[in-house]
Amino acid sequence: MAFFKFHNIRVAGVACAVPKNEVKTESYKPLFGNEEVEKFMQMTGVRSSHRTLEHQTCSDLGFRAAQELLAHMDVDSSEIGACIFSSHSPDYRRPATAFVLQYRLGIPKEAVCYDISLGCSSLVVGMQTVASIMNMGDIRKALLFVGDTAGKSVYPEDRSSAMLFGEAGAVMLLEKTDNPNDEINALVRSDGSGYSYMIVPGGGYRNLHASEEVVMCEDGNPRTLMNSFIQGTSVFTFTIFDVPRLIKDFFAKTETTPDDYDCFGFHQANLYILKQIAKKTKIDFERMPITLDRYGNTSGASAIVSLCDRYGSDTENRKIKVMACGFGIGISLGATSFEINTADILPIYEDDAIYEDGLITDPNQLYEKK
Amino acid sequence: MEKLLDLLTGIRPDVDFENETALIDDGILDSFDVVSIISEIDDVFGVQIRINELDPENFNSALAIWNLIQKLNKNIQQ
Repeated sequence: MAFFKFHNIRVAGVACAVPKNEVKTESYKPLFGNEEVEKFMQMTGVRSSHRTLEHQTCSDLGFRAAQELLAHMDVDSSEIGACIFSSHSPDYRRPATAFVLQYRLGIPKEAVCYDISLGCSSLVVGMQTVASIMNMGDIRKALLFVGDTAGKSVYPEDRSSAMLFGEAGAVMLLEKTDNPNDEINALVRSDGSGYSYMIVPGGGYRNLHASEEVVMCEDGNPRTLMNSFIQGTSVFTFTIFDVPRLIKDFFAKTETTPDDYDCFGFHQANLYILKQIAKKTKIDFERMPITLDRYGNTSGASAIVSLCDRYGSDTENRKIKVMACGFGIGISLGATSFEINTADILPIYEDDAIYEDGLITDPNQLYEKK
Repeated sequence: MEKLLDLLTGIRPDVDFENETALIDDGILDSFDVVSIISEIDDVFGVQIRINELDPENFNSALAIWNLIQKLNKNIQQ
């Protein structure tokens, strides 16, 4: 049982950014047909999403969010001791994107920086990792970046995924405190038997130069080996059975009930799944902010996007107790709980900035004298 | 069986579940419907249909679904 309880660590603030480009789900009607798109919207709740520009990355969005958060919290980047990027959308195959963010933000060389390769569970597992680092070391402040640009790996005519994903980058500032009542709980699980349920089969070192020939798959959707594959029904069944069980176990481990939480910042998988999870765990759906309708499934950033959407414009400064839950590719799933001041949940920013220095289109750019 | 037919009709009122025998093969039910059925069966019968049972044959008719529920129920009781 991977259950963790951390004292003297708090979530100081969260922020997120999405691309400016908004894609209406209805715009897919000429491609997929009216009936299919209407049913999709009804089932998933996704009515629009925001998509990145060609060379815009998740780290660009996270960078903007981090700039806003550090300024709001009056924290200088020199105070950051850990910079962790938890995502399936790195800037490069290597090195890790955390180093790019460290450099851009001016985080000191004494900091620990690395990536965690996770998607929809990246926030909860990332929090468990960062809190563990802080718990064992002398780091006082840490930045955890989450989010994905999942749409970039979807074949445009794949009706199972093309309309589902939105893109976002989010950041969480964690801080060590002298208050033992500051507490973060985390319960994490993994099921490798489902590693192929959500997969991009090509481009990794198993099949580095995979064919990019478009193949009509058995589910009726065209894709290449370099695209995202989602075995929808398998994923659904895992979600409907295993996620509620995890949540119930989390309540038992933390000796809490749904009534103890002000907000359920849950991964925005799709509306049907979230309603099922709420029903099966007796969570008040009203306390589960939904952003699927305007931002789509924003992968690991979605819990923070939803918090920012609900509380980002909150003028009161009140402390709320949040339960976050993430589940998806891996299969990986987890839940965390923490308290946060609503004044430190920033609104959703829209940004199209690209880190131009990071875009290498000619190998000789790497040999230019700076 | 009547409870199952009510459940199925609640999800897809337009389908003749008493007579259809190729619900999957003929594309009458899609993956969203199957997932809704699986979830409702868990709520109503307390039976969890897992991934290894997601054979189209188990969902082609109301009778096939009923037989699957009975089989899984027996497994739980054993």
